[in-house]
Amino acid sequence: MPISLPAYFSARSAKEAITACWEIASAEGVVDVDASDLKFVDPFGMALLAATFYKVNQHGGTVRVHCLNAQLSGYLRRMDLFQGVELVDCAPMQGQRQDRADALVEVTRLEQRRDVDTAAFRLTRALVGRMPAANRDLPSDGMSGYSEEDRLVEPIQYAFNELLENALTHARRVGYGNACVWVACQYYPTSDTVRLGVVDNGCGFLATLRGHPALRQETDLAAILAALQPRVSCNRDFGLLADSVNQGVGLTTTQRIATSAGGRLYIASGDAIHSSASYSHLADGVRWQGVAIALECKRKRLPEVRLRDLLPPLEPQPGVRLRFQ
Amino acid sequence: MVGSRMAAAPVREELEITLAQAGAEVVLDFSGISATQSFVDELIGVLVLRHGPDILSRIVFKGCSDDVRAIIEFVVADRCDQYIKSNTH
Repeated sequence: MPISLPAYFSARSAKEAITACWEIASAEGVVDVDASDLKFVDPFGMALLAATFYKVNQHGGTVRVHCLNAQLSGYLRRMDLFQGVELVDCAPMQGQRQDRADALVEVTRLEQRRDVDTAAFRLTRALVGRMPAANRDLPSDGMSGYSEEDRLVEPIQYAFNELLENALTHARRVGYGNACVWVACQYYPTSDTVRLGVVDNGCGFLATLRGHPALRQETDLAAILAALQPRVSCNRDFGLLADSVNQGVGLTTTQRIATSAGGRLYIASGDAIHSSASYSHLADGVRWQGVAIALECKRKRLPEVRLRDLLPPLEPQPGVRLRFQ
Repeated sequence: MVGSRMAAAPVREELEITLAQAGAEVVLDFSGISATQSFVDELIGVLVLRHGPDILSRIVFKGCSDDVRAIIEFVVADRCDQYIKSNTH
């Protein structure tokens, strides 16, 4: 019996998307997937599918996708979604692959922390592309040194850096040392919307925050809510883990980037899905092993984002004087 | 933009070697650079956790944008608070 993909495989349909991924990952051997109803896949959905297909392959299974329509088939092939996947009764790819590095970026799997900066830069460049309003001939601001394009680039690259850094650090705790992160992004000109997906197959929020004072209940939803609080991290104390320490601010700031730019952050981990508008639980037994994050925002509002205004408020320490030139 | 902790760690190690010399001061030049809170925390925050807030008196931050300055101030305030609480009996 093939597993049917829902019509919309996206952050806004995260429950249906994760449920389908769970069914695919739970199957053994040859996994037949019916894509005849599939109409739309966003970067979050792509990253989920890529991670799921990878898991099946790692366990020696094979995924066969059936009846994908021609338009989606070409698009998803260009996004490199089908590595290790057989396509059955799907329309062939038309024409040559074109360099669309300024509009979309293929689903990318990262394994090494040293690749974070490069990946964040590349992904951001793809998103920003050639925006009509970003006039590269305008001189930089005399006070700040920022150009119009800098204002567009910075919040997105900041969010990518923080999300990828988090994924390749926290995801690998508690026995998940080989966890990877998948990332995809795209700009949708009709709605002027930027969407990105960052999905890992690691231990998830609950495992990293178990025992933390900010965790009110031993549930995945409580863990997501705790992780969104400023200065909550499993390893704020240097020496707890000799190789890394975190302040617990990256996810908070990324959420604020999204909302400041007219958007929102979706977070799924375990059996819980949270966005700034709502939260929900997956059906009994269904879960995402790891953390899956989607960020949506309006590209025209990105220049309004001021990172300094998004940091949690803190009083400076008396007696500590910093020297700036 | 410099974002990853891995990028900051070797810079901090070099910083620590220099500051280990008595009386040495260091100028960190952020001209034309934007940085994430993670990078600044790995560079400066970890320094504070290891050596205490006094180490900051030997560092000059040069050419910081408003955003980078705000991030440095935030990281310092947070890690100084943490250091003091963990070293107060």
